[in-house]
Amino acid sequence: MSNKIYSELPIRRSDVPVIEFRGVSKTYMTGTHALEDVNIKINSGEFVFVVGSSGAGKSTFMKLIMREEKANTGIITVNGYNLTRMPRRQIPMLRRTMGIVFQDFRLIPTMNVFQNVAFAMHVVGASNRDIRREVSKALSKVGLGDKARSMPRELSGGEQQRVGLARALVNSPDLIIADEPTGNVDPNMSYEIVSLLTEINKRGTTILMVTHDHNLVRDFKHRVIMLDSGRIVADNAAGGVAE
Amino acid sequence: MKMRSVKYLVGEGFSNTWVNRLMTLASVGVLVACMVVIGLALLISENVNKAIGNLEQQNVIMVYMKDYNWALYSDKEQTETNEPAEGEEQPDKNGIRSTDYVIHNDDEAKAFCAEIEKIANVEKAEYVSSETGLETVKKNMLKGQEEYFTFLNDDYGNPLSSAAKVTMTDMSLFDDTIKKIEKLDAVDTIQSQGDLADKITAIKRGITVAGFWIIAILMVISLVIVSNTIRVTMYNRKLEISIMKAVGATNAFVRIPFVVEGMLIGIISAIISEGLLYFCYRVATETISATLGTTDIVKYGDVAIYLLLIFLGIGVVAGILGSVIMIGKYLRKEGSEFAAI
Repeated sequence: MSNKIYSELPIRRSDVPVIEFRGVSKTYMTGTHALEDVNIKINSGEFVFVVGSSGAGKSTFMKLIMREEKANTGIITVNGYNLTRMPRRQIPMLRRTMGIVFQDFRLIPTMNVFQNVAFAMHVVGASNRDIRREVSKALSKVGLGDKARSMPRELSGGEQQRVGLARALVNSPDLIIADEPTGNVDPNMSYEIVSLLTEINKRGTTILMVTHDHNLVRDFKHRVIMLDSGRIVADNAAGGVAE
Repeated sequence: MKMRSVKYLVGEGFSNTWVNRLMTLASVGVLVACMVVIGLALLISENVNKAIGNLEQQNVIMVYMKDYNWALYSDKEQTETNEPAEGEEQPDKNGIRSTDYVIHNDDEAKAFCAEIEKIANVEKAEYVSSETGLETVKKNMLKGQEEYFTFLNDDYGNPLSSAAKVTMTDMSLFDDTIKKIEKLDAVDTIQSQGDLADKITAIKRGITVAGFWIIAILMVISLVIVSNTIRVTMYNRKLEISIMKAVGATNAFVRIPFVVEGMLIGIISAIISEGLLYFCYRVATETISATLGTTDIVKYGDVAIYLLLIFLGIGVVAGILGSVIMIGKYLRKEGSEFAAI
């Protein structure tokens, strides 16, 4: 990992909320109450772990941020977008302001590493020159500069997840959302990935990471939000108790 | 959308066609099968129409004119041949005056033919002189029995009037056209086969209706099969679509490569179908010609360009419609919903 590359990036940290939930509730058509009256603020430059048991509402929390789901009540603001009143056609614009890392990597199997990362830049209409430069940079950041021509099936789980991370980074987003990024990799690689996310966070990017891994939460001292039965039951930024 | 994005997406469509070559092959195979069947149906219908067209051409009507022979041999009451008044025309040796008939010479007969040709739906009115008519009769009907009919060679032996041999453009308007011709002054009688005309019209109508439905049904079947093939393709690539959406791709951005791919599959299928149909049709026509000894078959070259255009139309429409309809379903899905498809 090259800290030199990170030192070139500007550090951004402020009290401006990147994500804000105000009285948010979500009930699915099936009648399941996934979230109830959630109020939370995540400021620019923070690193936040979201923890909780299965069915606690973590996935719904993330889906609402990505606008994969819509809240029934309350107001959600992400990167300046009011998600409550957002028309469908604006959803792609919202997603371009964030990088998303998935548990199952979600790499396109027919594209090589370079193409998978470049794809996120093609979406925003970047020029080929910019794509070549930025993709190479992003791959170097995650330590895969020499794997650009490899196909996803030729990589280990950890390497695939790093490609996913490079894809999330390549458009220099203000916010990275990582949905259990260590769920499918071995413990050593888990530490490497969270270290990498921490390095990225140090340069000012807000990180929101869902995890089940208590060791990671314990070892990396970041803000922790705990969800249970759709409610925030603990938030160490607010004194470690539910708001 | 930026021009470079469009270029990238079109390129992606081309590259996806190759990358997913197994599905491309399956789609092309299905489309080619449908197109070849549609092409065969069109060729059969074209050949039947040609055969009927030939039959129509043979169903000519003869319009006999009121000429000298008509005046001489017709059963109508002859005008009284009393002594003519002063200045009045003298009847000839057969007691016929020039006012007794309408067509006096070849020029008038030809002018009459031209008049018939002006009637709507008359394709051609060909002048047949009484002499030519007699020759035809002799050739067709009296072969081997000429000696019994030597009287026909006498000066007044020819009982036939001059005639106009009329062919029509559309046999379904047969009765109306006959009525219009009958109204002309110089017409004596009209010989026609009205029954045959009715039958031809009925067969032609039947073939047109049957052909339309067969082709329409085949086209619908093609669309359904192509849509299903695309559905399988989409299913296999739902991961790709979900990733595209997650990184902020607009619906158009996701759709364009699939549409390009659909179009390309349509074009490839059209070209293969054209070649395959040409080969099959050649073999079939050669066999038919050799077995039945007929050469009156529609040449592939005459319809090749129309068939190619039809195939391209079907291919491109099926490809684009299939892609647009099927991808629409996936574009409405979000994130984990893809897993549930």
